[in-house]
Amino acid sequence: MVSVLTFIIMIVVGAVILGFIAVSAMFLIWWERKVSAHMQTRYGPMRVGWHGVFQSVADVIKLLLKEDIVPAGVDRWIWWFAPFFAVVPSVMVFVCIPFGEMFGIDLIPADLNVGILYIIAITSVCTLGIFMAGWGSNNKYSLLGAMRSAAQIISYEIPLVLSIITVVMFAGTLSMQKIVEGQKEMWFIFRPNLAIAFVIYLISAVAETNRVPFDIPEAESELVAGFHTEYSGMKFAMFFLGEYTNLFIVSAIAATLFLGGWQGPLLPPVIWFLIKTYGIITVIMWFRWTFPRIRVDQLMGFTWKVLTPISFANLAFAGWVLLK
Amino acid sequence: MNGLIQLLNDVLNNFGMPKDFIIMASFYFIAALTCLFAFMVVTSRDIFHCAVFLAATLFGVACVYLFLNAEFLAVVQVLIYVGAIVTLFIFAIMLTTKIHDKAIRQVNRQVLVGGAVALAFLYSLIAIINQDPWKAGAGADKGYLGLDELGRSLMSTYALPFEVISLILLAALVGAIVIGRTYKE
Repeated sequence: MVSVLTFIIMIVVGAVILGFIAVSAMFLIWWERKVSAHMQTRYGPMRVGWHGVFQSVADVIKLLLKEDIVPAGVDRWIWWFAPFFAVVPSVMVFVCIPFGEMFGIDLIPADLNVGILYIIAITSVCTLGIFMAGWGSNNKYSLLGAMRSAAQIISYEIPLVLSIITVVMFAGTLSMQKIVEGQKEMWFIFRPNLAIAFVIYLISAVAETNRVPFDIPEAESELVAGFHTEYSGMKFAMFFLGEYTNLFIVSAIAATLFLGGWQGPLLPPVIWFLIKTYGIITVIMWFRWTFPRIRVDQLMGFTWKVLTPISFANLAFAGWVLLK
Repeated sequence: MNGLIQLLNDVLNNFGMPKDFIIMASFYFIAALTCLFAFMVVTSRDIFHCAVFLAATLFGVACVYLFLNAEFLAVVQVLIYVGAIVTLFIFAIMLTTKIHDKAIRQVNRQVLVGGAVALAFLYSLIAIINQDPWKAGAGADKGYLGLDELGRSLMSTYALPFEVISLILLAALVGAIVIGRTYKE
């Protein structure tokens, strides 16, 4: 039974999450610029606010006020809706992200009993947005970027899902909240099987978010900017928002599945969850300035010949450990 | 605090709205939208548009599963149909050269026969659908498709059909590779 009050609560929760996503994405863009700058012994943004904390706010205002350029020859409907397909699935995933608990209330919008499966299903829709952007732009660079991106996401989804299944086998449930509770004694990363799964998950997650060293879909030297070459102003900002939200999501899932979620001593659960999530994000940003970009054939060879067999072997090994 | 919430709830619920109003309203909205998208799939002239509308239609069907409390079925519907099959369709469209330049004709010589078959299919579907009362929303059976039960039966009672289906899929994969590969003379 959905009463009007629950409906109002749903809307409030949705608004809070949307606010969180926007602030988080702005923070991550600033953080990425700061991390990269300090790794190259630069300062990064310094002018707007203390150490440039409000730089992203200024950038967002600039993007909002920019002219929305529609190139001639685009497939209007497809081109117009692509940014929404890139952002909406990322927002929908937040239904099943457990943020912690406060005053005895679980801070998770809805603890579905198919939680992690729901997240995998919804994120697979993001591919559609990338395809639509690449096709609708009517530009060969966009199309090539979209094809590369989709091929990469589909290939790396296999080891990603296999490593998640290993966690599900140990937890015995798909519900995110119960997976967190299952790690009360010991975080899953301290079990040998799941430590391997964590490494596989992290590599696949970096590839899923199209980041360096797996950023061939938007390799500037070959493809201008990949699937979002033709987008400007607010639509470009939407793709950017989607990208950084996805980065947050994969890190939040890693923190929940392997690092004990919101559990931790002394500090409140929400703070622990955010520390773990942003810690993983920082590690992924660190990768960006450590590894060079790899070629298409190396990329595909790596997932099909290395990651996928290892994940299957790990899965079988996990089954043996559980049945022993 | 609880009393206040209860009071607010009572006031809002007695605002002239029937019970389950929100569920009903969202169901009819989603159902209408799904039908519209399904209609667009078959009438759209650009094949890429057809594929995108197909994805939207399948998503709408997943929402209908949610109204029946079949969460697992809904999620799997999105995962397999929207996430995998439509994506493959789009890959095929993109790899087929210049297919989007042609506006496809919606009808051919077999339009009458096709229409008759579709009507017969619709009739049998309606007959099957009418056999069940289909309690949606709060009235739907809990554990309509229990995950544990489903997994257990796939691994025990239906193990053989399950394996046979995977064999068929494997055969189709091998067949696609054989057709698609280029022979070196």
